[in-house]
Amino acid sequence: MLVASHLTRRFGDRIAVEDVSFELAPGEIFALLGPNGAGKTTTLRMLAGLIRPSEGRISIGGETLTSGNAARLRSRVGFLTETPGLWERLDVRRNLLVYARLHGLPHPEQSVDAALETFDMRGRAREAAAHLSKGLKQRVALARTLLHQPDVVLLDEPTSGLDPESAREVRDLILRLRHERRIVLVSTHNLDEVERIATRVAILRSRLVAMDTPTALRARLFGVRVRVALGQPGYRFVHVLRDAGFVDTVEEGTSLSIAVKDAAAAAPQIVRLLVEANADIQTVTAEKPPLEQVYLKLLDQS
Amino acid sequence: MMRILALLGKELADLRQNPAVFLPAILTGFFSILLPFIVAVIVPNVTGERLSDSSDFEIALETYRTEPSLRGLDPEAAVQAWIFQQFLVLLVLTPVAGSMSVAAYSVIGEKQARTLEPLLATPLTTFELLAAKVLGSLVPAVVLTITCFALYVAGVVIFAEPGAFRALFTARSIGIVFVLGPLAALAALQLAVCVSSRVNDARSAQQIGALIILPVAGLLVMQLTGNFVLTVPFIAFLALILAGVNAALIALGIALFDRESILTRWK
Repeated sequence: MLVASHLTRRFGDRIAVEDVSFELAPGEIFALLGPNGAGKTTTLRMLAGLIRPSEGRISIGGETLTSGNAARLRSRVGFLTETPGLWERLDVRRNLLVYARLHGLPHPEQSVDAALETFDMRGRAREAAAHLSKGLKQRVALARTLLHQPDVVLLDEPTSGLDPESAREVRDLILRLRHERRIVLVSTHNLDEVERIATRVAILRSRLVAMDTPTALRARLFGVRVRVALGQPGYRFVHVLRDAGFVDTVEEGTSLSIAVKDAAAAAPQIVRLLVEANADIQTVTAEKPPLEQVYLKLLDQS
Repeated sequence: MMRILALLGKELADLRQNPAVFLPAILTGFFSILLPFIVAVIVPNVTGERLSDSSDFEIALETYRTEPSLRGLDPEAAVQAWIFQQFLVLLVLTPVAGSMSVAAYSVIGEKQARTLEPLLATPLTTFELLAAKVLGSLVPAVVLTITCFALYVAGVVIFAEPGAFRALFTARSIGIVFVLGPLAALAALQLAVCVSSRVNDARSAQQIGALIILPVAGLLVMQLTGNFVLTVPFIAFLALILAGVNAALIALGIALFDRESILTRWK
């Protein structure tokens, strides 16, 4: 379990992070969203034991992070920094080997071999890091982050600047970490990525603006709605649904958007009512506003 | 210790990939070796005048009348031996010059290459980081000093008067090259690494080199003019002072190294 409790960090008069609290369980992928300067990297650095919170407490696996145990607890955390940070003149293998030794792994050579295999880098092991593409560098950096099998994995914009194929590879790796029951915290601007991988989302603007699952955040902001696409104009059926208690029914051309409490429970009743009214139903879907819309609305409200 | 060795291994591997960084040290070493040969061997051969005929070197002959292992040298060999021994102080400069740029870039270089943050996210302690950084520049410097000394001795054996090389194996000579030299280099490099962890520009750290070069150069001039003789007891005294300075610099380096400032304030 990773617990951040009332974390605050000040730099002089400026408050970078204020009163941020959350608890993350193994197998969770937690996405930290927020505009530039919102305190995402500062939060990650505090969690990685690199900088101390001005106030608040961090605990990793039940042990509170202090200056006395920071060095030891850092071995339970893997931190992927915003840039890969590889030693460019050294080859991939040497880059990983130094970190394997810094983490005190009992069999550094074998650990590096295993990491190279996992990350499909065995063929490039002897290449200088400087000669790798940005995507491959990020892959090596991820391998370095996970080399010591950390319980907590902190990823600062892991797909920033990557081409779609490399970004997908990184996302797949992150999903693999979930199956390995690690705690993953991702700071990102990529909302599409969050949609695909995150189990929970926090929106940060120095303070936590919101925190929940993507579905719950949507429901909180936009409610739950069912959309029915018809073969006829929708206005003919609005009264049918309103009369049946679906008061917030909106017609949009040949579609109807209906506010419900629970999409799965309400959909059969809506379909039955429309079929009885001779509607030509084409599709019935739960409305899902893009996460971007949720994010922007939450930031507007903050 | 394992973590120091791990990072030291990386430092040395990095230097092997970039040997040009040691060019200034190699040049300093080369000129440190060449200069006494110009004075003691080349100039007398070109002018046809023996050094022992000059009253300027009376001090050399005086010195060697009191040095048991050198009493049997003929006057010309004694003067040459004296010159070669005095210039040993220059060899002390070689490791410092060689490692100063490496040490100066040690922390700021990692920061500029954005490799420092992942490194600080490991269990590495500040002492381990600084120790590896200092050793990473000291080890090659000491290797270079030993190489220069070996070449110096070989040159003296080949080109100087017979027996002059014996002056390079007295307690005084060995103390200068193998005790004072590395200790002075260690102090200078620690200072450079300390500065490197506090500045935003490696050039600022490199300028610290002048602090060590100036006293060494002063020592050389004072010796040549006969105003001062670097005796064995004085070498031991200096070594003790330098050891104390080094111990203080370790504590200072750890106190000055502020992980938070380095990560959050440097751009």
